Amino acid sequence: MEFAANITAAALFQQILVGLSRTTILFIVSSGLSLVLGVLRIPNIAHGSLYMIGAFMTWSIATVVGGSPAAFWLALAFAPLAVALVSFVVERGIFCRLYDREHLMLLLFTFSLTLVFNDLVKLIWGSDYRSLNAPDFLQGSFSIFGLPFPRYNLFLLLTGPLVALGLWLLTNRTKIGKIARAAAVDREMVSAVGINVSWVFAWVFVIGCYLAGLGGALVAPTQNITQGMDHAIIIEAFLIVIIGGLGNIWGALLGALIFGLTDAIGILVWPQFAIVFPYTAVVIVLVFRPKGLLKSVW
Amino acid sequence: MLEVRSVRKNFDGFMAVADANLSVSKGDVVAVIGPNGAGKTTLFHLITGQLAPDRGEILFKGESIAGLPPHAICRRGISRSYQVVNIFNRLTVFENVQIAVLSRRGKTFNLFGRARSMAVDETMEILASVGMADRADRVSGALSHGDQKVLEIAIALGNRPELLILDEPTAGMSPEETAVALALMRRLSEDMGITILFCEHDMSMVFSIARTLMVMQQGSTLIQGSPEAVRNDHRVQEAYLGEGDACSV
Amino acid sequence: MHNNPLTRPTWIAGAMVVLALFLLPAAVPRFYVYMAALILITGLLATSLNMVLGFGGMYQFHHAVFYGIGAYGFALIATKTSLPSWVGYLVAPVVAALLSLIMGLITVRLSKLYFGMMQISLGSLVWALVFRWYSFTGGDDGIHGVCPPEAVSSTTGSYYFTLSVTLVCLWLMYRIVHSPFGRTFQGIRDNPERTSAVGVDVRRHQLAGLVIAGAFAGVAGSLFVTVEGCAFPELLFWTLSLEILVMCLLGGWFIFLGPMFGAAVMMTLRTFVGIYTEYWTMIMGVVLMLIILFLPEGVLGLFKRKTTGDKPAEEEA
Repeated sequence: MEFAANITAAALFQQILVGLSRTTILFIVSSGLSLVLGVLRIPNIAHGSLYMIGAFMTWSIATVVGGSPAAFWLALAFAPLAVALVSFVVERGIFCRLYDREHLMLLLFTFSLTLVFNDLVKLIWGSDYRSLNAPDFLQGSFSIFGLPFPRYNLFLLLTGPLVALGLWLLTNRTKIGKIARAAAVDREMVSAVGINVSWVFAWVFVIGCYLAGLGGALVAPTQNITQGMDHAIIIEAFLIVIIGGLGNIWGALLGALIFGLTDAIGILVWPQFAIVFPYTAVVIVLVFRPKGLLKSVW
Repeated sequence: MLEVRSVRKNFDGFMAVADANLSVSKGDVVAVIGPNGAGKTTLFHLITGQLAPDRGEILFKGESIAGLPPHAICRRGISRSYQVVNIFNRLTVFENVQIAVLSRRGKTFNLFGRARSMAVDETMEILASVGMADRADRVSGALSHGDQKVLEIAIALGNRPELLILDEPTAGMSPEETAVALALMRRLSEDMGITILFCEHDMSMVFSIARTLMVMQQGSTLIQGSPEAVRNDHRVQEAYLGEGDACSV
Repeated sequence: MHNNPLTRPTWIAGAMVVLALFLLPAAVPRFYVYMAALILITGLLATSLNMVLGFGGMYQFHHAVFYGIGAYGFALIATKTSLPSWVGYLVAPVVAALLSLIMGLITVRLSKLYFGMMQISLGSLVWALVFRWYSFTGGDDGIHGVCPPEAVSSTTGSYYFTLSVTLVCLWLMYRIVHSPFGRTFQGIRDNPERTSAVGVDVRRHQLAGLVIAGAFAGVAGSLFVTVEGCAFPELLFWTLSLEILVMCLLGGWFIFLGPMFGAAVMMTLRTFVGIYTEYWTMIMGVVLMLIILFLPEGVLGLFKRKTTGDKPAEEEA
């Protein structure tokens, strides 16, 4: 167990930037989870699988299109949409029949989806890991205070706020977003004023799953795309959503920040137990605010 | 026995109970009446601990019980039934009542006793006293609504309460079922000496059994007194006529 | 449902099953004996989960943590201390119960689904610690070469030991479920508000239920190490927790032996379907979907309903 003895300010700064780019992915994935939790009241375990499918899809599309610089961008645009399509089929096909069941049944149903999805991934993409290169101009690093910082991470840092802005516009400026927010608070009232709640649910579910796919697509160039990459992210997303406040998208942002930054600093301070830092932060938050930092819609 | 003084409860800006005062003496049968939304059920929740009052005093046998958790209040001798049927759906009628009896005897942490041979006599006695002994083995969720309301009272009796609080005990009952429930309440009061506090919309039922009335309006106590005093009070007449409530006094 | 008196045919059938289980090692190859031991252990784990889930109505989403901690508790006593490894069988339920108490103190005040999600979170924290703490738990490798006490180290010996301990635990849990505590617990499941209104401190009973269930899961964990000779982080990974939830669902939540039945079916399926296809989890997923859609009270639940004519109790909101 070695503590890094002297951490320079530059190294700390660099690590914070790394943490922030990780935060972007975490935020995108957990905001989708939070959206579905808030409006549909479903703890969607399959969210992690959709994230993984998003990453594999990105790899496939980029590989099929070939080496052109546009390949990555095409994949980034279409892979999350493909994931959204999958979720749409599942929602309309089966899920919409189960909304009046107990939470436990819904949770187990999403678990059954996880089992099926994960084997489908194995069937389609095999058990080998894949890797994907970012477009040329996002490859390599530039230097900050003499320490290297990957360009792709900078791209992620810019993407995060864009997605947050998009979500804000969606929930505050569009009809579907406003209905969804109202439905999260009071489902009966929304259906009482003649809105077809079932379709609102479908849309929210699809948007939530799209975000999972988008997270997977964005993460694809930064790590090995492999079976089992869903396992860690789903627990992390759960934790983030819980400390942020169930169903609160800004809570997801705050939670992702806490998680991403403590993780990054943990790697710097005590690499072996880096994983323990964010979890400990979560426990501390929950001991003091058991219902999360921001107001939960529950 | 029970004293409620200037109790208030506010929900996010909605004043459910503004200023409630109530006095119940031992052996009495007290009815709380008032239009829908007057705060009767909230007042009962405050007395039995489902809610904690924002201010005011609730004394039971001279001790303050305001803000105590429901189980602590129950152990001091107050039991209640609910307006909407609130029973243990998957359990049998017998088991429903037995839980209350076991709780009173402090047996609920007994891990290895045989529940089915415990407190049988007392439970069956209570079921017999409410006329449900023949249905002891039925699953309670499958009973008729009237039977479920009676079971509500039977569960409350399992705690051998000194004060029994009934929230609209005959709501939704047929006239025959109401007559049965009324006879039951009479027996509880006269034969078993249980003090009863209840609220009800059916005024003929209220006047046939209650010895004291308390009238609530918009969260506040208007008057408490004998049925005659209440009937002749001009404020009550105004309140009821002014509200246009279906009940006639 | 009331009283649930064990009828004569039930007794005879039960006695025959137990007898068959005791004769099993004489009749079948070793692999099947080993399989049977694993089924018993997993069934014990699922039954302990169902005490809080089916009989207590608590969303115990991460029960495997207590199983894994029990396994590690035993393995650590056996490998890192000079104490006789028998001590491990005492330590396993105690550490599992302690962990359950600590987690319960944090989670028990939360509402149903929040409770479940918090459980997954805290359980994952424990998993993360075990996964990373190489010097103590062996990290992702786990602890191998654990020697159980000599008397129970052979396949047959560990099987008989497992069978005996499982039977004793099942008997204890059966007693608990049918005790005043168990009855109160079922009351809390059906209607926590009403249970507290009849003078029961709901939180305390829930906490006690969690600790008891955790302790039995810890026993199952120590049995696993006895049979397998190792402990590893997957034992407390969340997917295992959901798998045992599925076993409870498959057998039926409201029946005492439902989870044991579910465990037997799942483990057997996994072993034999696994021979023919590597995609057995997909098959399990589809089976689970079908159960959720068509058999929400489980296979035994359906059977019981057919034979007793009980109406299905309605789902709570």
